[in-house]
Amino acid sequence: MKFTRRLSLALLGGMALFPSATLAQQDYPSRAITLVVPYGAGGTTDISARQIASMAEDLLGQPIVVENQPGASGTNAMRAVAGADPDGYTLIATTSSPSFVTPALRDVGYDTLQDLVPILNYSGPYHGVVVPGDSAYESLDALIEGAKSDAVTYGTAGAMGGAHLAFASVAKETGAKLQHVPFDGAAKATAAVLGGHVDAALVPAYRDLVQDGQLRLLGVLDGSNDPDFPDAPTLKEAGLAAEFPSIVGIMAPAGTDPEILAKLEAAFTEVASSEEFETFMTDLSQPVRIMSGADLARTIEDNLTAYREIAKDLGN
Amino acid sequence: MLVDAFLELLNLWVLVAAVVGIASGVIIGAIPGLGPTMAIALLIPVTFSMDSIPAIILLLGVYQGAIFGGSISAVLLNVPGTPSSAATAIDGFAMARRGEGGRALRFALYASVAGNIFSCLVLMALAEPLARFALDFGPAEMALLMLFALLVIVLFGGGSKLDALIMVLVGACAGVVGLDPISGTPRFTFGSFAFDNGFQLIPVLIGLFAMSEVLLQAFDRDHDVSDAEVPPLKASVVRFVELWRMRITLLLSSVIGTFVGILPGIGSTVPAFMSYNLARSRSAAPESFGKGAPEGVAAPEAANNAVTGGALVPTLALGIPGDAVTAVILGAFMLHGLAPGPFLFRDHGLEVYAIFEALLLSSIPTVILGLLFFRVAIHVTRIQPRHLLPAITILAVFGAFSVNNSLFDVWVMLGAGVLGFLFRRSSFPLPPLLIGLILGAPFEQSLRQALLTSGGGYDIFFGSPITIGLAGLIALSLAISLALNLRKARA
Repeated sequence: MKFTRRLSLALLGGMALFPSATLAQQDYPSRAITLVVPYGAGGTTDISARQIASMAEDLLGQPIVVENQPGASGTNAMRAVAGADPDGYTLIATTSSPSFVTPALRDVGYDTLQDLVPILNYSGPYHGVVVPGDSAYESLDALIEGAKSDAVTYGTAGAMGGAHLAFASVAKETGAKLQHVPFDGAAKATAAVLGGHVDAALVPAYRDLVQDGQLRLLGVLDGSNDPDFPDAPTLKEAGLAAEFPSIVGIMAPAGTDPEILAKLEAAFTEVASSEEFETFMTDLSQPVRIMSGADLARTIEDNLTAYREIAKDLGN
Repeated sequence: MLVDAFLELLNLWVLVAAVVGIASGVIIGAIPGLGPTMAIALLIPVTFSMDSIPAIILLLGVYQGAIFGGSISAVLLNVPGTPSSAATAIDGFAMARRGEGGRALRFALYASVAGNIFSCLVLMALAEPLARFALDFGPAEMALLMLFALLVIVLFGGGSKLDALIMVLVGACAGVVGLDPISGTPRFTFGSFAFDNGFQLIPVLIGLFAMSEVLLQAFDRDHDVSDAEVPPLKASVVRFVELWRMRITLLLSSVIGTFVGILPGIGSTVPAFMSYNLARSRSAAPESFGKGAPEGVAAPEAANNAVTGGALVPTLALGIPGDAVTAVILGAFMLHGLAPGPFLFRDHGLEVYAIFEALLLSSIPTVILGLLFFRVAIHVTRIQPRHLLPAITILAVFGAFSVNNSLFDVWVMLGAGVLGFLFRRSSFPLPPLLIGLILGAPFEQSLRQALLTSGGGYDIFFGSPITIGLAGLIALSLAISLALNLRKARA
C-alpha cells in the first residue's frame, strides 16, 4: 500500500484522537525525520542523500530534513547520531570511513555495530588503482614486482583512510616497498598522479580520465568489479588478500523499534531501486549498490575486524 | 561556435537565473560565515528541475556574487563576510570611517568586475593548456610556492618584520592542532574529539576580525559612548580616470588571482593579501595604505574575484576541483549532465561556451545590482556603534556555528576574538596570523609529501624548472628586502 499524503494525514488525524504509546510504531512517522550527512553540503554523499530523502518523503508521508554535520572524517556526526533518541526520527547517511575505518584505528566515542543499526546500503564509489597513461606498469602484478626492487609511491585521499590501509596490508603481505603519500582529498591525489609526482594513486572518480588515456586502471580495491571496466581485477582476483569495500548507506541509533526499521528499509529500498534514482546517480557518476541492512551489518563487522588487524600491524 | 553559444543565451530564463544567482550570492556573501560554498550548496536543490545552462549560470552567479558580497560587510563593518575579503577591510573600512564608504564599495565593485572579466577570458582561451601546467605543480613546487607567499607577507607586509614573523608563526602553530596530515595521529587535541578537526578558518577569522572589533570598542574607555560621531556621507562618485590610473595594479592583481586560483588548495585569501602588498610596494605613496587608499581596496578585490575563473580551469578541464567551492560546482555540473573532465569540451562545447559567455556578460547585472544594493547598505555606517555592536556579536556567533553546526566552533570564535583583541591592543598585525593559519598546515603537508616521494632527499626542491624558478624568487625577495634595509640604515 502506498502512503499518500492524504492517507497519512487521515491516519494521523485518527491517531490524534486515540493517542496510545503502543501504537507509536504504527503511526510512525508522525513528524519530520532528520537525516544527518557527516560531510559538507554539495559533495556526492550529500547530493545523493538529499535525492534519496526527497524521493522517500513521498512514501513515508513526512518531510525528511537533511542536516550537514561535517568534521573529523565524519566521526562527529556518527557520535551524535549514536547518542540520539532511538525513535526513528534521527538517521544518518554514512560511508566506509566513519563506519569501519576510523573506528578500527582509534577511539571515536562510538561502536558502529553496538550503537547503530544499518538500514540499507544504496551506493559506494569504486576506488581504482591508477597509474599515469604512459606508466611502465601495465598490471597490478607489474606494479608489485616493480616495488620489490625500487620503492613505488602511491597517493590516497588521506592518512589512515581505507585505501591506505588496504595497500599497507598488500605491502606487508608481498614485501613490496610501497611508499604511501597522503593528500588532502582524492582530487589532489588524482592531480598528483596525473602530473607524475607519485607513481600510482588509489582514488574514486577515475572513469573519464581512464577512458581518455590520461590514466591507466590497474585494478579496483572493491570486492566486485567496476561495471564500467569489467576487465580491471579486484585485489583478490589479482592474488592479493586485501580489499576496501566502499559503502554509502543509512543507519539509525541502536534500540530503534524493529517495525520502524522495517518500514524505513522497505521505503528506502523501493526508492533506491527505482529507475529515477538510477538515472540521477548515473548523472552523478555514482553507482547504485543495494544491500540489505543485515548484509551491510555483516560487511561492516568483517571489515572492522580486518582493519583492526591491519592497524595493529601498523603499530597503532 | 561562439555565435551558436551566444544564441543559447537569448532566453528569458538565462537572464532570470543570472540575476537571481548574483543577487542571492551578494546577500549570502555579505553575511559573515556564509561563504560561497554554503550559498551554492543551498541553491543546488533549487536547480534540480532547471535546464542545464540556466542552472549552471545561476550557481556560478552565486559564486561570483558571494565573493564580491563578502567585501560589503568588510568595508562597512570591518567584518569580512568571507575570508578572501579580509584584505579589503583594511583600507575599505578606513575609507568608510571617513564617510567614503560608497566610494570604497564602488572601487571594490569595479575591481571585482575587472578581475572576473580577466580570469574568464583566460578560462575561455587557455583552459586546457593551463590545466596541464597546473599538474606540473607537485608537492615540492607547492611547498616552495607557499614558502614564497609566507615570505612576501613577512618581508613586504609593511610594519615591523619581526612582528609579522611572530604573527605568521602563531598562525602556523595554531594550524598544527588536529590530526597529523601524514600519519593521521592526533596532535595537541588533549584527548578531546572536538580538537580532531583543528581550528577551522572561518570561526577564527570571524573571531579575529569581527569579535575583536566589538571588544576593542567595548573596552575603549576614552570613547564617549552616547554621542559617537558618525561621519557625514560623502558623494560616492568614482570616475573612470581614477580606475584607469590603477590599470597596472588591476592587471597584476588579476594575474596573481587567476594563477593562484589554478593551483589547488591555496584559495582566494592569500592572493588577495599578496596583491595588496604588491600594490603598496609599487605605489608612489605607500604610507597612504592602511589609511584608506582606493588602490588598497581595488587590488585585493580584483585578485579574489579573478580566483573564480582560475579555480574553474582544473575543475572543468580535468574534473579535479581545487577547493570546497569548486568541488560543489563540480557536483552541480555532473547533476546537469555536463560531467567535467577531459570530455567536457568535446561533448558539451556549446553549453560550456554559452556558460563562459554568460560569465562575461554577467558583469552587467553585477554592476547594476551592486549599485542598487549599495544605496541601502551604505546607511549602515550611520548607525551608532552601540546599536551595531550587539548585531555584529549575534552575526559572529551565528556565523561561527553555521559552518559545521558545531558549538565548539563558537568557542573557538570567542577565543580568537579575545586573542585578536589582545593582539590589536598591543598593535600586532592580524593579517600575517591569518595567512600563517591558512598556509601553515598545507605547507607542512606539501613539504612532508615532497620528502616522502623523494625518499628523504632534499634535491627534489631543485629538481624541476619550476622549483628552481621559485627558489630563485625566494632568494631574490630576501636580497631585495636586505638591500632596502641596508639603504634605510645608511640614509
